[in-house]
Amino acid sequence: MLRTSDILSTVRMLQEEHLDVRTVTLGVNVAECARGEMAETCRAVEGKIGARAGNLVRVCDEVAGRYGLPVVNKRLALSAASQLLEGRGARDALLLARAMDASAAAVRVDLIGGFTALVHKGMTPGEQTLINALPVVLGRTERVCASINVADTRSGINADAVRLVAQKILQTAEATADKNGFGAAKLVVFANIPEDNPFMAGAFLGPGAPECVINVGVSGPGVVKRAVERLTKARPDASLDEIAEEIKHTAYRVTRTGELIGREVAARLGVAFGVVDLSLAPTPLIGDSVGEIYQAMGIEELGAPGTTAAVALLNDAVKKGGAFASSSVGGLSGAFIPVTEDHALAEAVAAGTLSIEKLEAMTAVCSIGIDMVLVPGGTPATAVAGIILDEAAIGVMNGKTTGVRLIPVPGKDVGDRVDFGGLFGGGTVARVNCPRGSAAFVNRGGHIPAPLRGLTN
Amino acid sequence: MTQDAQNRNAFSMPEPIDGRRCVITVVVGDRVGILRDVASAVADQDGVIDGISQTVVGGYFTATLTAAFPGAVAPEEIRAAVAAAFGPGEAFIAVRPHARAAGDAPPVAGARYVITIAGPNRPTVLKAVTTYLARRGINIEDWNVMFDEPYVTHVGEITVPRHMDIKQVQDEFHHLMMQLGMTTCIQHENIFRATNEVGPITSLLKG
Repeated sequence: MLRTSDILSTVRMLQEEHLDVRTVTLGVNVAECARGEMAETCRAVEGKIGARAGNLVRVCDEVAGRYGLPVVNKRLALSAASQLLEGRGARDALLLARAMDASAAAVRVDLIGGFTALVHKGMTPGEQTLINALPVVLGRTERVCASINVADTRSGINADAVRLVAQKILQTAEATADKNGFGAAKLVVFANIPEDNPFMAGAFLGPGAPECVINVGVSGPGVVKRAVERLTKARPDASLDEIAEEIKHTAYRVTRTGELIGREVAARLGVAFGVVDLSLAPTPLIGDSVGEIYQAMGIEELGAPGTTAAVALLNDAVKKGGAFASSSVGGLSGAFIPVTEDHALAEAVAAGTLSIEKLEAMTAVCSIGIDMVLVPGGTPATAVAGIILDEAAIGVMNGKTTGVRLIPVPGKDVGDRVDFGGLFGGGTVARVNCPRGSAAFVNRGGHIPAPLRGLTN
Repeated sequence: MTQDAQNRNAFSMPEPIDGRRCVITVVVGDRVGILRDVASAVADQDGVIDGISQTVVGGYFTATLTAAFPGAVAPEEIRAAVAAAFGPGEAFIAVRPHARAAGDAPPVAGARYVITIAGPNRPTVLKAVTTYLARRGINIEDWNVMFDEPYVTHVGEITVPRHMDIKQVQDEFHHLMMQLGMTTCIQHENIFRATNEVGPITSLLKG
């Protein structure tokens, strides 16, 4: 028997607090599509995506209507495209990417992930082809997203790959200079890449996953913020553990909506259900911001001392609530801090209270990394590589995922304003301290060995 | 035959009686101990209460119970036994024999949805809502209204026939309510059970 108060609180989450399913992502393994000629491979990829994902959008819309819960994005995550590029060149990489792009458009999906290479221990020729093709691919396609895993806790950090990818980030930004370097927003460099992350740009279908699988990303920073506000309004002296408890309960409810939608979509499509990823993913809308949650907790100026602790509290409470809500929690599951996509974070960067260094500290305790951060277009590749190395070190040493999605904006410098529009938002170009201070270290290349905690067998 | 005509015919069909069960309705100004008084009266007649719905509406305790007895039931005797617990004219009490058909199957087979309506409190809203639902053959299982003048919020649980296109119902209803200045939502009950109950989601989808 449902209680009226419970019904109304759920309705409030949906109608007033921006609760939604941020993404339903269909993973499709395309390894079987390899053919002798790339044109044939591309046709096979397009055929498989059409067959498997043709009903994705319609089914998501039907299920969303049934429950009155918006499914904001419907997306595709392919198995690593580098597998299809062994023995191929740059031209074939672009052909494959264009086939992915066309397939996504054909099934009315806005982004398709899986232009991916896993190079944490070393690079195959196909993976090198994929990385080298990134500027052209991300510059000439609309929907394709790329991810490169350069490190993991059991392997350490492939510093050669980091250096190469850093160059490609800058080249990708240059290739899309007419869009303020937006191509770089479709590329994530990971340590400990998750195999079941449904969120873009880092979604891909990992090697341990089923042939086809539905992974769901739920969000709801607005719901969490309002819950914290209600608590602190009712009890202005609420302690931090009481706030954590409130967030945990809220995360439980949010996670359950994701699993409900994901399982029903998977059943209707006749594919496996994978995970629900409860990540507080903001949008540029007021009231849908992760930064506002920290402000509701009492961090009036984001970046002030205590901000990292607030992030840790939030991230931990979200994970605990999610873990109790579902035995199928996976992906990243925590708090995102994508600067341009979160108006409160973007304003803090513009005001100078939130620096790249503070963001880096926050990533040690949250679920991703330096995300959607604008840096000057003239930032040296060694500085970009240094940021990636730092983030990878945090991920590897702490046994967690970290990622870097930097956007070097061509022709822009510290303090300049950039707007991408839509869910990608906008922000202010941030300062990179000592951009030439680590070139000698970065240029040594090689491999940073795995930490002792990676030797767990 | 129209749906309304079918419904009227269904209500007027003679119902076979279960002679050992009855339905008891009690309406009385609310005070402590009313349910005890009713339950005691039924128990004293060797009855076993096997269904109950009770709430307080505008200060009035209202309850409808079903009860089973070891032998044939004389409704007037049961009514007198329950009435003895109250002062003269204090309570409205009605007792009728239980029809066998009632409870065997719900009036409508389908999926449970929750309907919420909010907006200015107008006397025509409930009539418009219930008229629409009845015309579409949608059964109301539960209904609550909360007043916060000048606004009102209706929360109902309804059963939508299995064959019906829920999207069409949602659109029609939304349009109807919009004309009355009300906002509305019709959502499958599982979204509310998922967010408010503890238990595996898979059990909701099997139901």
